[in-house]
Amino acid sequence: MLILQVLINGFLIGGLYGCVAVGFSLVWGVSNIINLSHGIFIMLGAYITFWLFTLFHIDPFLTVPISAAILFSVGYLVQKCLLNYVVGYTQQSGFGVFLSLILTFGLARVFENLMVGIWSGDWRSVTTSYSGLSLHLAGVSIPYIRIAVFGVALLSAGLLSVFLYRSRAGMAIRAITFNTVGAQIVGIELDRVYNITYAIGAALAGIAGSLVSLIYTFSPFLSTPYLSWAFVIVVMGGLGSIYGAIVGGILLGIIESIATAYVGPGYQQAIGFIILVLLLVFRPQGLFGKKFLK
Amino acid sequence: MVEKRKNILFFGILIFILILFPFVVTNYWIRLFTGIFMYGTLAQATNILMGFSGLVPFGNVVFFGIGAYFTGITMLNLGFPFFIALVFGASACFVFAFVVGHPVLKLKGHYFAIATMGISEAIKQISTNVKITRGGMGLNLPLVPFEVNTSYLFFYFLMFSAMILVTLVALWISRNRVGYALRAIMSNEDGAKSIGINTPHYKVLAWAISAFFTGLGGGIFAYWYGYIDPPSVFDIGISVRFIIMILLGGAGTIIGPLLGAFFIELLSETVWSQFLFIHLGVLGAIIVLVVIFMPRGFVWFYRQKFSLEALLENVRKGKL
Amino acid sequence: MGALLSIKNVSKYFGGLAANKAISFDIEAGEIIGLIGPNGSGKTTLINVITGNDVADQGSIRFKGHEIVRLKPYIINRLGIARTYQVVQPFIGMSVRENVVAGVLFGRDGKGRKMGVAWERADEVLELCHMQDKRNEMVENLTIADIKRLEIAKAMATDPDLLLLDEGMAGLNPKEIDEALDLATRINKMGMTLLVVEHVMKAVMSISQRVVVLHQGRLMAIGTPEAIAKDEQVIKAYLGEKYSLRQKNRGEVKRL
Repeated sequence: MLILQVLINGFLIGGLYGCVAVGFSLVWGVSNIINLSHGIFIMLGAYITFWLFTLFHIDPFLTVPISAAILFSVGYLVQKCLLNYVVGYTQQSGFGVFLSLILTFGLARVFENLMVGIWSGDWRSVTTSYSGLSLHLAGVSIPYIRIAVFGVALLSAGLLSVFLYRSRAGMAIRAITFNTVGAQIVGIELDRVYNITYAIGAALAGIAGSLVSLIYTFSPFLSTPYLSWAFVIVVMGGLGSIYGAIVGGILLGIIESIATAYVGPGYQQAIGFIILVLLLVFRPQGLFGKKFLK
Repeated sequence: MVEKRKNILFFGILIFILILFPFVVTNYWIRLFTGIFMYGTLAQATNILMGFSGLVPFGNVVFFGIGAYFTGITMLNLGFPFFIALVFGASACFVFAFVVGHPVLKLKGHYFAIATMGISEAIKQISTNVKITRGGMGLNLPLVPFEVNTSYLFFYFLMFSAMILVTLVALWISRNRVGYALRAIMSNEDGAKSIGINTPHYKVLAWAISAFFTGLGGGIFAYWYGYIDPPSVFDIGISVRFIIMILLGGAGTIIGPLLGAFFIELLSETVWSQFLFIHLGVLGAIIVLVVIFMPRGFVWFYRQKFSLEALLENVRKGKL
Repeated sequence: MGALLSIKNVSKYFGGLAANKAISFDIEAGEIIGLIGPNGSGKTTLINVITGNDVADQGSIRFKGHEIVRLKPYIINRLGIARTYQVVQPFIGMSVRENVVAGVLFGRDGKGRKMGVAWERADEVLELCHMQDKRNEMVENLTIADIKRLEIAKAMATDPDLLLLDEGMAGLNPKEIDEALDLATRINKMGMTLLVVEHVMKAVMSISQRVVVLHQGRLMAIGTPEAIAKDEQVIKAYLGEKYSLRQKNRGEVKRL
């Protein structure tokens, strides 16, 4: 029956949405950096999986850790060599806050053009031998790939959670979210924490990208939808909240699935952005509490 | 008084030069300067909100696009003559900002910025899907009824006039109560409320005025280029560009945004057209440098340097 | 003729905490009334409720006969109530004169005023507050005492009938306190009604005709400074049970 299919589709893809949002939310919540390069990092992750699969026939799911590792390094370098100069300003009020937006926007364009230059703007996707197989249950068909993607997405979020709450580095990250001055007093070096945080955000983008390659066609120019999902989910689920990102992602997935089925596919992003604006205006505390007003 | 006279004389001469300019150069330069004036108009328009109140409307390009589309659609579908269509488009932007502004301007700082971005992206996608805009195929405006050389001159002077107009409005606002209200709001919104300032009203008004002139720029652009499509007129990159111009030149000053537009456009055209992919990346790098060395933009930096000099003078003369 | 400001049964809750509970008292035109109480007793909350920065959960506040509880701060200002802030709120990036002109432009009758007239009025206010020699100074360069005086000047510029001064003496040395008291007295003699919230006891007690004491959100006592100083409950609230007992036993009463 259609409605059940629509809901399940939405639910499963929502896991991926959540994975897309989690890294973005982390970086924003901890370092107050709005990373407009997040979308292009996802594309990079998708390309990594694509080439490893196409050239070396490595199963896409096995490329996930590789993608994460590569993006981790990229992110680390970006933060260390570029964003750290600007972070001091982003913590203040005034125009400094927008530096991160402008910088990451420009960086995204650089990456975008580099990728087009090297790999061309052709649309790609990853199709494995098992891509077409589906589970048939109660009148709905659920592609195995989507279940696996959902699983990996949730697993990543879970690992992140464990890292943040059980490791020293994770504790340092959480400490500066609450109080940058207090954290420094106990000897936490802000710069290093920012480096790691951004690197993790990028790594998560890489993971999301690898998963994206299995489900969507992608190209360097198609990075915007992922950013828009990330924004909406962060507002819905609350800044810096892993749980909020996943639940928000699933919710968004379901909403978009319903919208696509009953309104039409062209408006997906528009709906997302409209939800974003409506949420900011009418329910700034998101669905779980963190306020976006004073 | 002498200071003021000197300024008026200086700008008078500058304007005179710019009026004679297109008659003595090639079309290439006329086109280049038309583009500079366009960005000057856009930067100054957004400066009216951003420079005085501190709010950064990242999505202000949405008005560029709305102005462009309203101008184009009313000319094509309703047969409006260009100037009527243009004013209609700009007014539509004013109304849109006024209506949407009341809820959206309650948001603080970068949440306002993001909301405007969201609005712009949403409108972009809607424009791609709706029939009246001809969607992704783009819109072809009616041809300009002049021969080539004349049309180059036409758009040069049109953009120039728009830039002068918005600059005069910005100047006027900076000296009157609206300017004070906005600056008070930027400095201290609660304090502003306590002395009788209706803060939402002024924020919305400033945004609506900036929307009007951004839309004006968009409408002229549409007729000038003759063809528009959603990705090009609702491009956040345009917003980023003129925001950078404002920051570079000095937000809240009057000549700052114009200087910023001039500098960035000239630099882009003459140096970077070869290096597409580093284009915006280098722009980003410029911002970092500007923020570190000239945090409030060139005009403030210039003024400070001069007052420092004056200070040193006085010390030397023994006045201090 | 009724009171200038009439507060009846006003309560304000933050979550479960009652910052103000059932407060009632009147302020008569032309008087200087002090508002004192230990930290956390609800003084600033009450000011915020009067000026509209916070909305009272219960009760009514009538100013010159009009109910003002649900009105926005800028409207309340235009009706004739002005305030200073405990944490000073000058408009940075503007000069002293520009700060005051802002008040002139937007306060009562501000709407019709032309810039030229506004500048003149601003100068008058600066003269009254003895700040005319500093009028072109940028706010960032002022001393704390001057900034506090500027706060008062800004508030005065809006042409109020009632001026609420929220802890304007904090951080001032004795000479500066005397100057501030002098300013307050002069303004009052011109007809301005003042509500003075203060911790500096000597200051508020010497200048007020009546004093209101808040304690834990409630109105504890109201009376002349002399009576309040002797009031057993007030002494207990400020200095603790032991001290008031000791005083009783000693048979003397200290002025606060």
